[in-house]
Amino acid sequence: MRNSMKVAKWEIKRNMKNKSFVIGLFLTPILILGFGFLGSLFGSDDESSETTVFVNDQLDVFAMLTEAVDQYELDWDLHQTDLSEGDIAAELENNEDTAYIFLTSEALENGVIPVYTTDEIESGFSSQVQLLTGPLQQLRISQLDLTDEELAIISSNVVFEETSAEDYVAEQSGAEESISLDSPLEKLVPGLFAGIILFAIVVTGMMIFQSASQEKKDKIAEIILSSVTPGELMNGKIIGYFVLGLIQVVVLLIFVVPFAATKIDEPIIEYLFVPETLLLVFIAILGYLLFAAIFVGIGATMADMTTSGNFQGLVMMLPFLSFVLMAPVLSNPSGIVAKVASYVPFTSPGVLIMRLTALDEWPWVEIIIAIVVLVISILLFMKLAGKIFKVGILMYGKNATPGEIWKWIRS
Amino acid sequence: MEVMLTVNGLEKSFKNKQALKGITFEVRKGEIIAILGPNGAGKSTTIRNIMGIMYPDKGSITFHNHEGKEIPRHKIGYLPEERGLYKNVKVMDILLYLADLKDYPLDKAKERILMYLKKFDLEGKDKVSIDELSKGMGQKVQFIGSILHEPELLILDEPFSGLDPVSQELFKDEIRNLADNGTAILLSSHQMNLVEEMCDRLFMIQNGQKVIYGTLDEVKTKYANFKCTIRGKNNLELLESIPHVQRVEQKDESAVLFLEQDVEPTSWLKALPSNVVVHELKMNRISLHEIFIDIATNKNLIQEAGELDA
Repeated sequence: MRNSMKVAKWEIKRNMKNKSFVIGLFLTPILILGFGFLGSLFGSDDESSETTVFVNDQLDVFAMLTEAVDQYELDWDLHQTDLSEGDIAAELENNEDTAYIFLTSEALENGVIPVYTTDEIESGFSSQVQLLTGPLQQLRISQLDLTDEELAIISSNVVFEETSAEDYVAEQSGAEESISLDSPLEKLVPGLFAGIILFAIVVTGMMIFQSASQEKKDKIAEIILSSVTPGELMNGKIIGYFVLGLIQVVVLLIFVVPFAATKIDEPIIEYLFVPETLLLVFIAILGYLLFAAIFVGIGATMADMTTSGNFQGLVMMLPFLSFVLMAPVLSNPSGIVAKVASYVPFTSPGVLIMRLTALDEWPWVEIIIAIVVLVISILLFMKLAGKIFKVGILMYGKNATPGEIWKWIRS
Repeated sequence: MEVMLTVNGLEKSFKNKQALKGITFEVRKGEIIAILGPNGAGKSTTIRNIMGIMYPDKGSITFHNHEGKEIPRHKIGYLPEERGLYKNVKVMDILLYLADLKDYPLDKAKERILMYLKKFDLEGKDKVSIDELSKGMGQKVQFIGSILHEPELLILDEPFSGLDPVSQELFKDEIRNLADNGTAILLSSHQMNLVEEMCDRLFMIQNGQKVIYGTLDEVKTKYANFKCTIRGKNNLELLESIPHVQRVEQKDESAVLFLEQDVEPTSWLKALPSNVVVHELKMNRISLHEIFIDIATNKNLIQEAGELDA
């Protein structure tokens, strides 16, 4: 164990002194922030312009319109005007982002209200102006001299209300109401956090793979193995890259959290420090250990990164399996795909994190089974990786075939 | 002399090929023993088995002076045949890491690193990245790495390969020096002249089997017959008629006379016919180099000698 720590310390030190690693360390959060910032740039572009709307109000409803505009928070500058339809042609020519609405009794009767706009007009205007149909419809109905009851019936729409069996039962038995969430973010933040950890340390973990095959290529492995056992070397690498992954996470959080906290109007930090986060992070770490064991073993079978065979390439893709399952799992977190994927060790860390984030109530039995499966596979893969590593790290000049790897495992 | 390492009946197979067929030898304190043999004879395999990098199928490896079954890694220095170091790492950093892995105190290691860098003409290179060094310099750094922690047993696999004559001399002196200070040294090499100059004992293998094992003098007495080189124009039949001459190789004005095994040089010289023209005469044993080549090419002087004896 002491030797493993020495190897781990060396791997950390070596990478922290490596320029490309340090650049990557800071580039990741900057890229993430950069894309976030770009997005908000485009977003704010849309909001900046205000539409000037003139209303020729012959129905005496301007006050009502103003109210409606306020209610829907439309970015309108509302004015009254006396210009007739014939006079506005010149006005429209010379202005931008301007619209004229003609509210005449004739138009109201027809149900078609003429609106004239300039060539340049806010893209959302045509849908915004439809929002005013509601109050105007009310006005039309009220002119029909109906009773209040008739009025209420006409103005209310028919809707379907769905209740699934589960909710129905819950309602029947009078069980507790499903936890009402004040904000979707509250649920999302711990999951997102664990997801980032998993992603960052798995990506850093891929460097294990590179480090193991590089060690072969540089032919230093034999010198190191004259001082430590292969097992110690392997564990040292796994621990070392785990710490490097955590360093990446910390750097990421230092950059992203303050930025997110100022941008988003929610107590993100508060959402983060909940007990759920602990379990999610624990799952993320288990996920890392699994992939680290696989990577270190496979890395030792390869003479060179550039000549990796199909087999090695496929193994490299394993952590990304959970991304493939993202859509089906998120759309139905209790579905069959999600359940099965929770029990498959390669996908279970990613899928569990997604499910636990999406589900309101955690299926504890499933979680425990999945974690037990995961832990057993980690122990198994560590053992296998140890065997592969021991032979592979000293085999120079060629990549191992799956057949050879199988033989090492059996020996 | 105190025995540091005993290798007994080592056997190892790869796939269907038996690489080692019962290798037995020992390494003593303060001596240099050389494992010799052509490529693929099993030298590196033997060394890797000793280092615990491979495990023998049969046989035992015993480190004396050490309790327990584990290999005393901290007391062994090892320079593998496959040379390599981490690429973009500073010389000092990697040497300190290697010392740290051997549990050697770092402040002392630092002192020794600077001392050795100076000794090997690498002064001021401690802050230089490995990939900026030449191959020979890298090899020196690696050698320093293997002797830094003052090992009791030093195992060097082809320490001289790829070195220029000046560096070879430096390595040779340092290895001799270490042996004189009590380190047990096991080295493998192809360079017979160097082995001849510095080894106390040698162990020659061919096809995973022992061919020769003994002190340099013993080996020479036993296997290396005398040869006499004569300069001067002589008749081939005349030379061949001289008693105890096995065969004659004549070239231009000089001839090499290979003598039989038990020839006494002085009495043989006295018995030289007076009509032999001698401008120059040289009497010496067949060199290790010649023995080695004979073994490697299976021409086998040794066997020839044996057959003649019988």
